Amino acid sequence: MAASVAIISLASDFGCQVQMTNMEDHLLDVLAQFDLAYWQLASSGHLPETYDVAVIEGAVTTEEHVETLKRVREIASSVIVIGACAVSGGIPGLAAGSDLEPKVGCVYGDDGDIVACGRISPMPVDAVIDVDYRVLGCPIHPAEFVEVLQRALMGLSDNAPQEPLCASCKVAENTCFYDGGQICLGLVTRTGCGARCVSHGRPCTGCRGIAEDANLASARAIVTSYGMSPAAFDQALELYSTCQEAIR
Amino acid sequence: MSTLTVEHVARIEGHGTISVQVDSGVVTDIHMDIVEPARLFEAMVVGRRFDEAPLITSRICGICSPNHAVTSIKALESALGIEVSERTRLLRSLLLYGSYLQNHATHLYLFAAPDYVGQPSVFPLAASHPDVVKRALHLKKLGNELTTAVGGRPVHPITAVIGGFTAEPHAREIEALAGRLHAAAADAAETAALFSSFDVPEFATAGEMLAMHSESDYAVYDGEVCALDGGWCRPADEYHDFVTETVVSHSNAKHSTVDGRTFLVGALARVNLSWDQLLPSARLVASKSGLRPVSRNSFLNNLSQAVELVDAAERCALLCEQILEGEGSSKPVSYNVRAGSGTASTEAPRGTLYHTLALDDDGFITAGNVITPTAQNLANLEADMRQFAPTVAHLPEAEFVLAIEQLVRAYDPCLSCAVH
Repeated sequence: MAASVAIISLASDFGCQVQMTNMEDHLLDVLAQFDLAYWQLASSGHLPETYDVAVIEGAVTTEEHVETLKRVREIASSVIVIGACAVSGGIPGLAAGSDLEPKVGCVYGDDGDIVACGRISPMPVDAVIDVDYRVLGCPIHPAEFVEVLQRALMGLSDNAPQEPLCASCKVAENTCFYDGGQICLGLVTRTGCGARCVSHGRPCTGCRGIAEDANLASARAIVTSYGMSPAAFDQALELYSTCQEAIR
Repeated sequence: MSTLTVEHVARIEGHGTISVQVDSGVVTDIHMDIVEPARLFEAMVVGRRFDEAPLITSRICGICSPNHAVTSIKALESALGIEVSERTRLLRSLLLYGSYLQNHATHLYLFAAPDYVGQPSVFPLAASHPDVVKRALHLKKLGNELTTAVGGRPVHPITAVIGGFTAEPHAREIEALAGRLHAAAADAAETAALFSSFDVPEFATAGEMLAMHSESDYAVYDGEVCALDGGWCRPADEYHDFVTETVVSHSNAKHSTVDGRTFLVGALARVNLSWDQLLPSARLVASKSGLRPVSRNSFLNNLSQAVELVDAAERCALLCEQILEGEGSSKPVSYNVRAGSGTASTEAPRGTLYHTLALDDDGFITAGNVITPTAQNLANLEADMRQFAPTVAHLPEAEFVLAIEQLVRAYDPCLSCAVH
């Protein structure tokens, strides 16, 4: 019997779910590999009480999200988190911290207290439950999602690359931004994106999160040796990694 | 008295709940509850370096990310007094139109069409109507390829920056796209024919309609904001003066009014206000499909999107040809960082999008404000729901709920955008 898959979103821009549909030539073949138990974006229906694999997009920003995730972990044999929001807290993580009230005031003015409560400081999914597979990036790449989904369906282990981007950039024969006096987070960011941003003329902004093999102290020393400020490097890292222990 | 709720309404972006109060078979109240808390983007940009702002606001929405990025870029260029080249403007238009093709094809086929053929999703149609699904995926893919060619990827463009573009597509890539876009206009016309074959209720919204408008072009990248009934046009940077936002208790997204009325933005408003600027082929398809200005039927927002698909496919092909023949550069122009504030708008697939950004002398953002199309539409959607619900209240519950959901989906709401 085919495994059943539930696709669930927390706080996000739905961009990674959109990317899941952005493989038009293969979408129907991919969907044919499993029973779609729930996908609010694409189909009517309710989240069922049983399914085998849960695909989670988005950051945790409410008490309800926490409860949903605990239930998911009890039900699903595999949990896949997709995209920077779910993996590392991502852009929503920029609002993390104890001072949420002024930020709410920034949006609603003096009327912040009349809208729904239950809001908590943003965090990644693995701050609440154990996660089995991670699809990195902001947004994810459809092919990478399919590969991880297949690993989950076949019970293989996660094999996300752990080393920083720099080596991939050399292979792509890109010019290093540091030579031009610009900070690039490729020094410490997990590789696997094919250096897409750098190849299009933009420095890496760290959307795939800080690599396990990254050496932050050494990276800061490199930034300094190029005459730039390690404080600016650290601030750039906050963009996707505010919720990560490594930079706290 | 009983309450009927539809939680996490399917086939829309974001999280919303429809809640209907029924008393002795009579609908006494109906709400669109936006349950997701504000995502705090206006607070998150504060303190960040100014050139990070377009990257951050792009993450408000996965579908219209090019619009958020370009609108923030335009706001910052206004703050810094930057003029960009004609080539940059053409490429930006192409990038925005990529999101039209992507958004409209996705909304029409994946989200809206299943309502009219009695299916929970579009996927069962792959067996029964393979041509329809093939056409849907083809149009959607073309939109993504356009965004990828210009922006570097389909979601969250890489190359669009303050002052220009960091990379351009190769000429042969643009040439190939131009040919395929011309050819896709036929698929888009088929889409309009499909949607004009669906029965939609007789309905007229009581709300005003707003859209950007320009005499010389179908306004997507540039234009003034015009009101259909009000008959006025004003610069987008005066939106604080004409759009009034209020906080309501059942929605984490604010509600908007203009001249004291709720209003509708998006494809229907654009087609009504800029009928004369549509390409002749799109006007012909619209007329054949029974869509003529002025139409007040909110359900026809779907058909209006299909007409815009025809216009967008043809127009993008023309834009590609202009870029191929044109000279000049899209290389980012140089500029100096200084304190300032700027406001800009673009027409996103779902309607007019406004961004205001202010920065200090060191280049750090000091304030941000974003008004998204769906936030503007919500009050009008609720007014429509209140007006429409009694006319379908006699139907069995499942059919009643479907009718209300059809109205909600006709607006193509993006609740992720609404609670930015």
